[in-house]
Amino acid sequence: MIDQSFLEKALDYMQKNGSSYSEARFHKLTGFSFTILNGQLIGASYEDSTGVALRSIASGGLGFSSTSLLTKDSILESASRALKAAKSQKDFKPRIGLSEEYLARISYRVSEKKPISDWSDEDLIKYFQDLYKGLDLDKRINITQVLLMFKYDIEEKLLVTSDGAFVKSYIPRIEVFYSITAEYQGERANRWNQLGGSGGLELLEKMKIAENLEDDSSSLSIYLREAKPSPTGKMDVVLGPEIVGLAMHEAAGHPSEADRVLGREAAQAGLSYRRRLEPGYKIGSEHVTVVDDPTIPGSHGFYLVDDEGVPARPRYLIRNGYLEEYLHNRETAYEMNTHSNASARAKEWWAEPIVRMANTYLVPGDYSFDELLEDVKNGMYIKKYMEWNIDDYRWRARYVGLEAYLVENGRITRPVKNPALEVNSVEFFSSIDAVGKDLAFYTGTCGKGEPGQGVPVWFGGPHIRMRGVRII
Amino acid sequence: MNLEEFAKKLVENIKGHVPEYIVQLEAENSVMLKLANGKPSVTQSWSEISVNLYFAKDGKMTVSSFRTSSPDEAIEKSIQILDKLTPSPLYAPLPESNGAPYWLVDENVKEMAISGDISQMISDLSLTELTNSAGAITLSYKSQLLAGSNGAWLKGESTSFQGYLRIFRGDDASGQWSWTSTRYEPGKAKKAIEKAVELAETCQSLPQVKLETGNYKVLLSPMIVGNLLQYVTMAASGASMIFGMSFFRPDDIKQPVASEQLSIIDDPHNEDLPGYRLFDDEGIKTFRKHILNRGILENILHNSKTARLLGGETTGNAGIIQPTPFNIIVEPGDIKEEELLEALGDGIYATNNWYTRFQNYVEGTFSTVTRDALLLVRGGKPVGCSKRARITGSLRDLIRNIVGLGKELWPIQWWEVSIPSLLPHIIVKTRITAE
Repeated sequence: MIDQSFLEKALDYMQKNGSSYSEARFHKLTGFSFTILNGQLIGASYEDSTGVALRSIASGGLGFSSTSLLTKDSILESASRALKAAKSQKDFKPRIGLSEEYLARISYRVSEKKPISDWSDEDLIKYFQDLYKGLDLDKRINITQVLLMFKYDIEEKLLVTSDGAFVKSYIPRIEVFYSITAEYQGERANRWNQLGGSGGLELLEKMKIAENLEDDSSSLSIYLREAKPSPTGKMDVVLGPEIVGLAMHEAAGHPSEADRVLGREAAQAGLSYRRRLEPGYKIGSEHVTVVDDPTIPGSHGFYLVDDEGVPARPRYLIRNGYLEEYLHNRETAYEMNTHSNASARAKEWWAEPIVRMANTYLVPGDYSFDELLEDVKNGMYIKKYMEWNIDDYRWRARYVGLEAYLVENGRITRPVKNPALEVNSVEFFSSIDAVGKDLAFYTGTCGKGEPGQGVPVWFGGPHIRMRGVRII
Repeated sequence: MNLEEFAKKLVENIKGHVPEYIVQLEAENSVMLKLANGKPSVTQSWSEISVNLYFAKDGKMTVSSFRTSSPDEAIEKSIQILDKLTPSPLYAPLPESNGAPYWLVDENVKEMAISGDISQMISDLSLTELTNSAGAITLSYKSQLLAGSNGAWLKGESTSFQGYLRIFRGDDASGQWSWTSTRYEPGKAKKAIEKAVELAETCQSLPQVKLETGNYKVLLSPMIVGNLLQYVTMAASGASMIFGMSFFRPDDIKQPVASEQLSIIDDPHNEDLPGYRLFDDEGIKTFRKHILNRGILENILHNSKTARLLGGETTGNAGIIQPTPFNIIVEPGDIKEEELLEALGDGIYATNNWYTRFQNYVEGTFSTVTRDALLLVRGGKPVGCSKRARITGSLRDLIRNIVGLGKELWPIQWWEVSIPSLLPHIIVKTRITAE
């Protein structure tokens, strides 16, 4: 950690020289990672990203500056740059402000049931090399590459603001990325996946790494050996939790970010259909409730207080089919004359805190998987995806299945290849007529901001049934 | 901070413990003005030191990166773990350094990047007069020092001035364009802003049309060309082939993989583009090379490691693990800028895109979403502006189905095109899916 007085002196300097709000954040991210290709260690890597971020609001403008030089003088110089940056906007007559909030004074730490420090880094490498050796991958296809990447990182922060926030936090995270490439009779395909959470080595078991790899090799085998071209047209579709979770992130979470609604990200990550659809608009069926919750223990997007000092809570983005909250930081809350719901996150010391999701999911219903299927006469079950995207208003999305099947008279019959579900957000949420009682979370790195800030998130949901959507 | 002294100190600490090493230090000062709704949303400035280290011993490797001015503890860990690793199949000894130092600094950019004072730029670009605009403009001054056990002791200094603006007109019309340069060139920035305004206003002046899903001739703007060809150049990286993330195979080398109208060059020596450098991350001299030459895969991009594994020589494109192009240039065609729509005839002019994702990296199947002006063209004239659509298909097919290329090259770099590029418009035949 840093000498706290350096941060306080930076706040003093900015406040005494015309800042109406000042913020200083020490942010340290340290970690270890390695890559294994086909069981052989490619290399290992240590990371250390440590610095101080400063923000100032002065003359209605917002300035940000950061430095990795951690002397008192460098931090003061950076404070001066932040202040100067804010004041330099005066010709534009800006009116940026922050909402008044109850601010936290807290120190918290995510506990590790099995501390990362219990194992040496070489123990971790051995664990994954052994895991690879024990894999029972599908032997009916030629698996040419299995790329396994592991990393842990420890995020430590100390935030102080001129209006009284004090937040000290310690969050360890574990993440696994893998990619499988396979070939069958001259055709090739690949599948990649990301697993992660906050906590200690206990996550390695919870992630079910080997089971995921083995299951994905089966998906590739089905795709390459058995799947036939997908039918197209309107039909009923049962979607697996993996795609449901992604869709909640893309079509409910991102458009609810108030900075997009206000145009702050317009030239980068884009705008939002919620610029035109106000809270209270009925966007989906009564089965649709979407929550973003940073406080889920063990989650990849976990935090208790955001990077502006506001205590976190679950946010209801859609409730029973009606649009509800936006995701706010203090800047967007001020502009919309409301309160922040603790959505400010900054990836590292070089990044400003902007509105972000944490863990976004569709609230489960009460259907079993069989009950979801039994009422589908001629439809499709899309279990896993590879390709997806959505336009920059978060309106029209595309999800292309990797493992997918026809459903005939309530039964899964034969696998199909590359079914592309293209659907707008209202169609997506309105077509849901049944929601499963299962709930699974998936790991992602959500990109936004300039410079780009990839932050850890989860997204999740149960199986769902959609009526009359278009497969192209 | 004096980079040379810092590097000397690090090398002293390392060299008794590690037989092979690269120490790469980078100091950067930069300032970014971010605009939204015609006003600054934030002005950001950075002052940072980053350290990248490559250690190898008995075929074992670590590659570590630090964005901190005091990486001692992490360095010690990197040294300690080397003995405990197993040899890497990717390992190859570092070739002897033959790179050259470079200095490509524009004093105007350097001064603004260090001081953070960008009032002159705001005035030069008349930014306070732009309404309904959003974007980001960055000025950066970077110096690096690379020291290695292969004899490298190389310094480089460079500046960049890069930005993009998105202009909105009315409810649904917008245009976006970018520029990039090693120098402070307000003229380039103004030309890009004018292009964004022109596209937004063209879209606004036309009736809204609904596109049908189908196969079209599509005029891709340099913004889209930059995004899609970036994936082509990454597929030509040896590491992508080794890791199973490329739609090229090693035996595609010297084979036709694209239309013979398409030539893509990696040119680290282009003094207009911010990827300029005379040595790569292994201290090897960089050079101008074709990736695709008239449709032939002329070079796989290599560092010493991928070259050994796939057979070949380093192309001076290290990245320690992932070889990468530094500046991308597409050789121009013969269609004059003002004749592009006429050359398209009947088709679609797609001016910007984002969110390119692959269904299958090894087959190159992908889709990308258009944004901003999407013009329906009939008989060489724009007749309507459409809402967003998707370009779908295989990138392998797309680069084969090239109809023609523009004569003018645009300097492009933005959120979706990270590698500085000089690019023409390109007409292709491809599939569009629409609502």
